[in-house]
Amino acid sequence: MLAIFGAAVALWISEAIPLAATAVGIILAEILLVSDQAVLALAPQFEPNTYQSFYASLAHPVLMLFLGGFVLADSAAKYQLDRNLAGVMLRPFGSSPRSLLGGLMVITALLSMFMSNTATTAAMIAVIIPVTASLDPSDRLRVSLTLAVPVAANVGGLGTPVGTPPNAIALGRLADEGIRVDFLTWMVAAVPLMVVVLVFAWLVLTWRYPATTKAVDLTIGGAFDRSRPAIILYATFFLTIIAWLSEPIHGVPASIVGFVPVVVLLSSGVFTVDDLRKLNWHVLWLVGGGIALGSGVASTGLDAWMVGLLDWESMPNIVLLAALGLLAIVLSTVISNSATANLLIPIGITLATSGATDLDPLLAGLLIAIACSLAMALPVSTPPNAVAYATGTVATKDLASVGVLVGGFGLLLAVFVAPVLWKGMGLM
Amino acid sequence: MSELVVLVVEDEPEVRDAIIRDLDTYGDTIRLVEAESFEDALVAIREIESEGDFLGLVLADHRLPGRTGVDLLVTLNDDPTSRRIRKVLITGQAGQEDTIRAINDAALNRYIAKPWDAGKLRHVVTEQLTDFVIEAGLDPLPFVRDLDGPRLLEAFPRRGLTE
Repeated sequence: MLAIFGAAVALWISEAIPLAATAVGIILAEILLVSDQAVLALAPQFEPNTYQSFYASLAHPVLMLFLGGFVLADSAAKYQLDRNLAGVMLRPFGSSPRSLLGGLMVITALLSMFMSNTATTAAMIAVIIPVTASLDPSDRLRVSLTLAVPVAANVGGLGTPVGTPPNAIALGRLADEGIRVDFLTWMVAAVPLMVVVLVFAWLVLTWRYPATTKAVDLTIGGAFDRSRPAIILYATFFLTIIAWLSEPIHGVPASIVGFVPVVVLLSSGVFTVDDLRKLNWHVLWLVGGGIALGSGVASTGLDAWMVGLLDWESMPNIVLLAALGLLAIVLSTVISNSATANLLIPIGITLATSGATDLDPLLAGLLIAIACSLAMALPVSTPPNAVAYATGTVATKDLASVGVLVGGFGLLLAVFVAPVLWKGMGLM
Repeated sequence: MSELVVLVVEDEPEVRDAIIRDLDTYGDTIRLVEAESFEDALVAIREIESEGDFLGLVLADHRLPGRTGVDLLVTLNDDPTSRRIRKVLITGQAGQEDTIRAINDAALNRYIAKPWDAGKLRHVVTEQLTDFVIEAGLDPLPFVRDLDGPRLLEAFPRRGLTE
């Protein structure tokens, strides 16, 4: 299992093969080497997991939750619900550059809580391009508008369980350790942090890139589609979100609620079989591979061995948290956020559950997932950054300075302030 | 990195230079290649392919020495490997019959009458190249600056990058 873990580290960091290929490779290797169908004899005292359980990682409940999120988000994009909602929400912000920039960030973050960060950024940057083209080339508002979108999309992604894959990876590993985190609990923990980081990012952008123009005209979207499938989509979208948020009342887990829109939208023809074919299945597989890696590490005792390597007692929790967060943010600045989460979450949660430390597993999972989303200092850090960079309006140094400031501030908050708050709220 | 190429097929040097000058506003992701006849164009296309670049658009005059511009576009359309290339005729001399053949047999994308307007020519080239990048499934990001950025970005999430 150590060999599998080592290979996963090498392949996910080097990206020598597609990320999803590494994910299925992990599952195959686990089945062939450490399952009850292993081709080599295992130590007699070792009780292997069934091979079915490794395959089951690809249909883990948290992936079903994510599948529901994908289907809802793709349908919303298909019927332009995302753009039209953005247009309606932007109106109250008026036309002054400062408030418009804030409005753009609020809307981008809200959308990316439920849609992929990449799709949100692509849609919003597409709207921004004509605006920046109409501004004076020396107006630094062009830079702040273009930077605001990826920053808000990255930060918005940490807000809900379906916001971005690292959140799902953390939830999946926690669920396998018997720690169930419902949709609302995640949001109660993550949204306050998200809001503070967004406000900070807004201050940084308005301070570093003052606008020279007095008013900006930004209109997004048009009239809402009133066709029958569009209405079915609106109803399904809002009912699903309400059902996700009200789990404490009805008790149906988010992963079951999330499967309802898949069935409803497919059977009503709102989401067609062709749309289904175009889903980002490889992202689900990548998350599935991460979940399989986590369960392999735990079931083979590799976790205990890794934990035993160091004397954790001598290390204060806060140092451990800071180290995990820093490692996550640095690694995911250069490689995919999801791959980083796949590698670090099993380690972090193992440290917490092993008893070697008194770290709370939920805290470890949340912190690593959040740190992955905060990595945005380079064009290659996340696809949203690559999109903003492609416009030619922002330079690498703009992304780097704003990314380091916002990411660094967010990480400090997540390590030193948020845990106190979470404990105070009784989450852990 | 592979480049996107526009092939300009025109036999009169001063007209060819004028077209090239009007299109010389794109950044370094788009390369302009010149040819003066049907045969010359086929040689140029083979070279572009062997360099690993993508020919996105052929902008051809109809009247050329030897075989015509419409012949060239029909030839490209008959070959499955070059069918996706966008085809624009820029001419003052194509008769009705040739024009009908260009539309029906070459799947002509646009017809530009000479004398042309530089702004409109650039607009047509930008739109056609944008269509090509999306249909050919190229990574749209390098072209966001030079082509129709909003439309390219709409196609971007379908590339399925991983956050």
